Amino acid sequence: MKKKIYIENAAAYLILTVILICTVFPLIYTIACSFKTNSEILLHPDMVFPIKPTLNNYITAWNSKDFHVGILLWNSIYYTLLNVIIVIVSSSFAGYVFARGHFPLKKTIFACFTALMFIKSGGIGIYALFQILDIIHLNRSLWALIILSMFSVPIVNTYLVRGYINTLPKEIDEAAKIDGCSFIGIFFKIIAPLITPILATIGILAFQASWNDYIMPTIFTLTQPKQRTLIVGLMALKNSSGAATSWNLMLAGATIALIPVLGAYAVANRYFVSGLAAGAVKG
Amino acid sequence: MKLQIYASKTMNKSLKKERTSEAVQCYLMISTQLIGFLVLTIYPIIWTFRWAWYSYSGIPSLTKYVGWENFITMFTTDFTYWKTWGNTLLFALCKIPIEITLAMFLALLLNRKIKGSNFFRSMYYMPSVISVAIIGLVFSNLFNYWGWINGILVKLGLISSGIDWFATKQTAMAVLVIGSIWNTFGINVMYFLAALTNVPEELYECAKLDGASKSKTFFKITLPMIAPVFQIIMLLSTLGTLGVNEYILVLTNGGPSGQTFSVMSYLTKQFMPGFAESSTPALGYGCAMSLVTTVIFAFVAIVYSKFSKKMGSLY
Repeated sequence: MKKKIYIENAAAYLILTVILICTVFPLIYTIACSFKTNSEILLHPDMVFPIKPTLNNYITAWNSKDFHVGILLWNSIYYTLLNVIIVIVSSSFAGYVFARGHFPLKKTIFACFTALMFIKSGGIGIYALFQILDIIHLNRSLWALIILSMFSVPIVNTYLVRGYINTLPKEIDEAAKIDGCSFIGIFFKIIAPLITPILATIGILAFQASWNDYIMPTIFTLTQPKQRTLIVGLMALKNSSGAATSWNLMLAGATIALIPVLGAYAVANRYFVSGLAAGAVKG
Repeated sequence: MKLQIYASKTMNKSLKKERTSEAVQCYLMISTQLIGFLVLTIYPIIWTFRWAWYSYSGIPSLTKYVGWENFITMFTTDFTYWKTWGNTLLFALCKIPIEITLAMFLALLLNRKIKGSNFFRSMYYMPSVISVAIIGLVFSNLFNYWGWINGILVKLGLISSGIDWFATKQTAMAVLVIGSIWNTFGINVMYFLAALTNVPEELYECAKLDGASKSKTFFKITLPMIAPVFQIIMLLSTLGTLGVNEYILVLTNGGPSGQTFSVMSYLTKQFMPGFAESSTPALGYGCAMSLVTTVIFAFVAIVYSKFSKKMGSLY
């Protein structure tokens, strides 16, 4: 009996490990390739690790005229950071209001916001957004996109915050109310410190989403290549040149783009996982 | 008496005042979102509705009202849009069964309480945190004609010369499915594992005492117990797969000759600035397509939820 369990466990480990290798391999291969010369990538594709590791790709990418990784990286960093701050503030405000606030039309507004989750239109409405941007004299740029995200409704995150606040006892804020604290005051003095765990989850999700964002930044930086984020720049490089000629640069760029996300995942693994609940709400 | 009435009146007044002040504060806190919702969400929807009845490509002098013509063209003469639905369904039918079975199987293995199950779990989930654009890049490198896959297949003697993976619809679709499964199977492993840990241990012990076989235990106990979660997983997986967009743009860009476009990637490629080849795409027609797409997606979600309720009552 014991022997049978032992064999079964060994088989389980074997299968799990094979899948593990399949999962990790594409990433390892990508990172390893970023240390190869372009001819080595094309001539010895079956070799995983570089014969003569070189940092040249990174140096070239850093100094390149059309693919200046430094600027792309900086754009990605500020775009992501500002978005994280915006999403945290905006969704915690909305989550608090919809959890604790009493005001006319509360249910209707919340239902309208929720319906957003089920609209998949294919994005043609972007032309209507351009009209609005023209009216307020805002040029299409990464900054315009950041301003738009200030006004957008992060509905999934709002759900997360609302659900979290609903689990907190109401007596705390009632006590504060009796002591003369205003509705907004209660949020900053009492609720905000209590919801930091869920805000960490939201922050991580927002970080991942904006760092990885592709279509919207592409559209908004179309006329301003200097404002491209790392992902956008990478894809532009892939689409422009005869792709085979610059695999080394692309893979070095991809590695640079991978490191922050994978690093964050290694450190804050559990927040990513608790963010899975977000997926369940998202629908 | 008078004093009492006076007191209750002032109480009411102050309560009312407090309520109003709270409502004002509430609206203040969500003001940006309300403005954004009206201007950035509702207005584009109205815009789409309006132009769907026009021949419109952004040039005022060529704009004219055409009634139902956009819709008629779409349903009777131009079948490209429907072909992309066909591709999307094919993609979903290839991907979902494999992915769900794989995820379920791995979750069952991990649920045996073996050492390091946390480690395996987090490694499986890792590809899900990466940008789909990067995933497209990684897989087009691996499946490139001079890439690792061809290299290793030739070396092992399985094929005599490299396969051009992106040259035929079948192989391109296969690459898309493989990459996509790689990207998202970890999420489903997580969901299944969460569901499995909620199945009470006693049920398994009872089944063991009754001498039930492994497969019987799985079909009679495990599956019914995780049915609700299973339905959610299927819904998320279906909607996510049908909505696949930039992943296809980056990996195959619809190639060969537009045969692997999904609906969403087709719409992006046709009408989005920066993706569309034409600088004046037929926006009116695009609005009609967008409307039809939205309706179909809503329909899928509604039908699914009705259907899954029936499935739930089966157990």
